[in-house]
Amino acid sequence: MARTNRTPGAESAGKYRRNLFSWVMLTPGLIFLGAFLAVPFLLLFVISFRDVDNWMNMLPTYSLNQYLEVFTSRFYLHMIWTTLWVAVATTVICIALAYPAAYLLVRAPNRTVRTALYVILVSPLLTSVVIRTFAWIVLLAQNGLVNEVLMKLALISEPLRLLWNLGAVIIAYVQVMLPFAVLPIATSMGEIDPRLRQASMSLGAGRLRTFWKVTLPLTIPGMMSGAIIVFSLAAGSYITPLLVGGRLQPLLPLAIYQQVLQVANLPLGAAMSITLLILVGVLVAGMGLILRRWEGRMHG
Amino acid sequence: MSQIVLRNISRRFGANWALKQVNLEVREGEFFSLLGPSGCGKTTLLNIIAGFLEPTTGEVYIGGRDITGLAPYRRDIGMVFQNYALFPHLNVFENVAYGLRIRKMKKAEIAARVERCLAAVRLEGFAERMPHQLSGGQQQRVAIARALATEPKVLLLDEPLSNLDAKLRKDMQTELRSLQRRVGITTILVTHDQEEALSLSDRIGILGDGELKQVGTPLEIYRRPANRFVAEFIGQVNLIEAQALPGADRPPGTLAFAARGHFAAPGEPLRLYAEEHPSLAGRESVLFMLRPERIRLSPEPPEGAAGVVELRIESVVYAGSAVRIAGVLPGGGELSALSSDPSFPVLPEPGGILYASWEPGDLIPIE
Repeated sequence: MARTNRTPGAESAGKYRRNLFSWVMLTPGLIFLGAFLAVPFLLLFVISFRDVDNWMNMLPTYSLNQYLEVFTSRFYLHMIWTTLWVAVATTVICIALAYPAAYLLVRAPNRTVRTALYVILVSPLLTSVVIRTFAWIVLLAQNGLVNEVLMKLALISEPLRLLWNLGAVIIAYVQVMLPFAVLPIATSMGEIDPRLRQASMSLGAGRLRTFWKVTLPLTIPGMMSGAIIVFSLAAGSYITPLLVGGRLQPLLPLAIYQQVLQVANLPLGAAMSITLLILVGVLVAGMGLILRRWEGRMHG
Repeated sequence: MSQIVLRNISRRFGANWALKQVNLEVREGEFFSLLGPSGCGKTTLLNIIAGFLEPTTGEVYIGGRDITGLAPYRRDIGMVFQNYALFPHLNVFENVAYGLRIRKMKKAEIAARVERCLAAVRLEGFAERMPHQLSGGQQQRVAIARALATEPKVLLLDEPLSNLDAKLRKDMQTELRSLQRRVGITTILVTHDQEEALSLSDRIGILGDGELKQVGTPLEIYRRPANRFVAEFIGQVNLIEAQALPGADRPPGTLAFAARGHFAAPGEPLRLYAEEHPSLAGRESVLFMLRPERIRLSPEPPEGAAGVVELRIESVVYAGSAVRIAGVLPGGGELSALSSDPSFPVLPEPGGILYASWEPGDLIPIE
């Protein structure tokens, strides 16, 4: 009896010690995150309700004025709309381009080829954003490579305006975010049991129909995960649009950057940040919900 | 006319020949099993019949038609996979209806056919379930219903029962066999489970090292293995090499042999009497198979047996319905015997002595 009484006590003491140990290990990380993420975020939230005087000095009063300005000005509403559609367009293009790339990765004949493809795939991420963007400027400028070639081939009579617009922003986004779409799609594609495709074919479905009815539905989770990552990145970047789109593009991250660092209107910048965060959060949560539903349907 | 004919099928992977010159005819409506150890090429052969693999040489015929180069989706086969391969994103109804939708059947017809197929595998009322909500046995039945729904010419089963637990497997075997009889579909089962092959099949093909070692009914395979490979693979055997003793005394209708490596007393080879058989005529040395269950064990030397040998018990394994006893002969050489449970009031002990005897007809010459 004494033994059976003591064992659970000893066990829970051991558990407690293990728990304590994991907390001790986590502490530095938690302190870091608390100091540099949670606290600044709270400050941002509080500041977004502050008022400013004409010289952008923060006043000790709190109101919804900053949010009213964001949501009543046609300028800012247009900006929110543009930010979202640019992010959506980037996401859709990324997923469409990532799908064949993922297919190639999964079907690589051997490890060497697969490793080589992975390296090529993630290489944009290994390049500095400035170099990468500068390369786009070289390619897309008025006298850039693309225009020169098209002119030489006499396909156009005067240079196209390829840079300093939202098209350029989307192109640059797609280039850098493509790997984030390819990797989850490749993962979910690689997890498909090849016998499912064989089963489909044994039932009379050709390759194309097998793709539509088996492969594509089973890669929806991968596409959703990829879409979530690409969308959140595309809605929140400001360096890439600043460099290839110019500072006048109606994108929320650019406006936040200007409000905070150039106009120094911290409360308005904070209100725009919170607005962007909530919009992206809601949309991402929606996509996450679809993902969970679909996975729940398949795996319980 | 849905018999399956394989002619000179060979398949090479890199430098290895997974299949070598396989010739086989599976009759219409037959339940045929391909049996062999893992890596013997049986799954390769099934994949060639299904069209997932091309043979390096040879042809496949179904119902007299050469289908060798035909894509799997044009072969009109039903296939059941080891892990069932149900479509996880489709419910039971849609899984079974999959092949029917491809054939563009009318909605009402599909519903009726799916219902009939689910009833055939006793899964009425499961149509709305998702595969992950079913037990292994139920998933198995959905897979069978799905394969049969399109009324294919041929049913291919790739180790379909090996993921089920022992009791469920027995039930599914019975069910599978009676369903196959009812539908009358030509069926090929790939398995490494000899008991499954013996109890289900009309005929069995034994594959080893990419070659078809023997084709025959379960009875022929078990009682008259054509060669050493089959004898050792199917069931337990005592294999005894023996030398003919042409002039020796022997009971009428038998031939006398001296066993190699089995000694009745130190230096004195065990004397064997085998029934006269055309294959034994004029042979100097013969390999005999003696099934353990053919050996009778008794505490006293039995009267009138053709051959009796003393056996010192080495091990006794009690398995419920049977007792497996392994022992050594006085001069060396091992023998293993299988007795049914009630033959011993008390289990014999290792170290004790039993007398082993058998009939001349129990010694089966091989090769």
